[in-house]
Amino acid sequence: MARPSDPHAMTPRKPGSTRTAPPTVPDDFWTRPRMLTYLLFDATGIVYLLVGLVALRVAWALGSGRAAWDALMQSFASPGYLIFHAIALVSALFVGVRFFRLFPKAQPAHIGPAKPPPPAVLQAMLYVAWIGITIVLLAVLGGVWP
Amino acid sequence: MANDGSGEMKTRTFVVTRFDPDKDQVPKTQSYQVSCRPEWKVLDALNFIKDEIDPTLSHRWSCRMAVCGSCGMNVNGAPKLTCKTSLSEYGDTVEVAPLANFPVIRDLVIEMDGFMEKFKAVKPWIIVAKEKAVDEGTNRQSPAQLAEFKQFSMCINCMLCYAACPVVAKEPDFLGPAAIALGHRYNMDSRDEGAAQRNEIFRGEGTVFSCSYANECSEVCPKNVDPAAAVNQAKLNSVIDWATSFVVKREK
Repeated sequence: MARPSDPHAMTPRKPGSTRTAPPTVPDDFWTRPRMLTYLLFDATGIVYLLVGLVALRVAWALGSGRAAWDALMQSFASPGYLIFHAIALVSALFVGVRFFRLFPKAQPAHIGPAKPPPPAVLQAMLYVAWIGITIVLLAVLGGVWP
Repeated sequence: MANDGSGEMKTRTFVVTRFDPDKDQVPKTQSYQVSCRPEWKVLDALNFIKDEIDPTLSHRWSCRMAVCGSCGMNVNGAPKLTCKTSLSEYGDTVEVAPLANFPVIRDLVIEMDGFMEKFKAVKPWIIVAKEKAVDEGTNRQSPAQLAEFKQFSMCINCMLCYAACPVVAKEPDFLGPAAIALGHRYNMDSRDEGAAQRNEIFRGEGTVFSCSYANECSEVCPKNVDPAAAVNQAKLNSVIDWATSFVVKREK
């Protein structure tokens, strides 16, 4: 058994009269499938940080003239960038699916007189919005629309 | 022990965490070979060890029907109610340890005082501005009003959610799933007028916003209370309450 990251987890503010053993967590706590999924979910934050840095680089290239822009676009075709963008896409899908699965039950029973739609409807609305926005963005960026 | 003919007996090794505060500096494990009936739960095996093999083993239990919440332990690393967990789910070796994230008093018995402090912190009782006189009758509640919080009132305080929560393991001041679910349960109760007080607590340090929605509490809950839902509903409710407080004046 390993120790939790804080050894005072669930310890009362005023210690009792009996000496206690410190709290522990199972050694494989972090490698169990559900916890691993959760950690991967958290780790996607690193991917989004990198995506943000790439976006800054894009903005910098945009303001640095045609040559810089063309060089950046050319570098995006490199295997490293293709793999990174594939990871970013998988991360976005993973986070979206997990978030949409948990979103309905986080809704309050009502806000004033208004009640949220049933979970299945709410989830469907999220997916429809996600797909719709993706299609619009693809159309705009691809020069198809407007 | 004789087989009553209801099925094949199976010998399992139970690796049980032991800790004697008078002798041990840290917990250790002790193995027991137990011939188990097919219908046995983990608790049955522990009771057999206590009754027939080693009377010094200490563990909590009471109702044997997943109502009292006393027999929560980590079984093969996962928090379980041992009276509800069939041995048939496990192989030849079963590891039984005290609930994770809690100090241990002895063997499988955990220190609950920290949990009780957190419980009290959310004011888990009906708060009203003015108590009704007895002759004014009872506080009525419709089935629809009851349905809004009933799920969250089914908690049996077994503490499995605290053993599963990754935030509890790293933030000792985190109120935790069961306590927040209980506070939310009272906030949703149509008879209660204390939501503003509890929401103020919920907006403080180490409460609802410390939850990272790992959802582990709901996964391990033996009564399907879904504390993760309560915690995350409480997040939004406490923010709405905060925004409303600028518009609607409240009596202190």
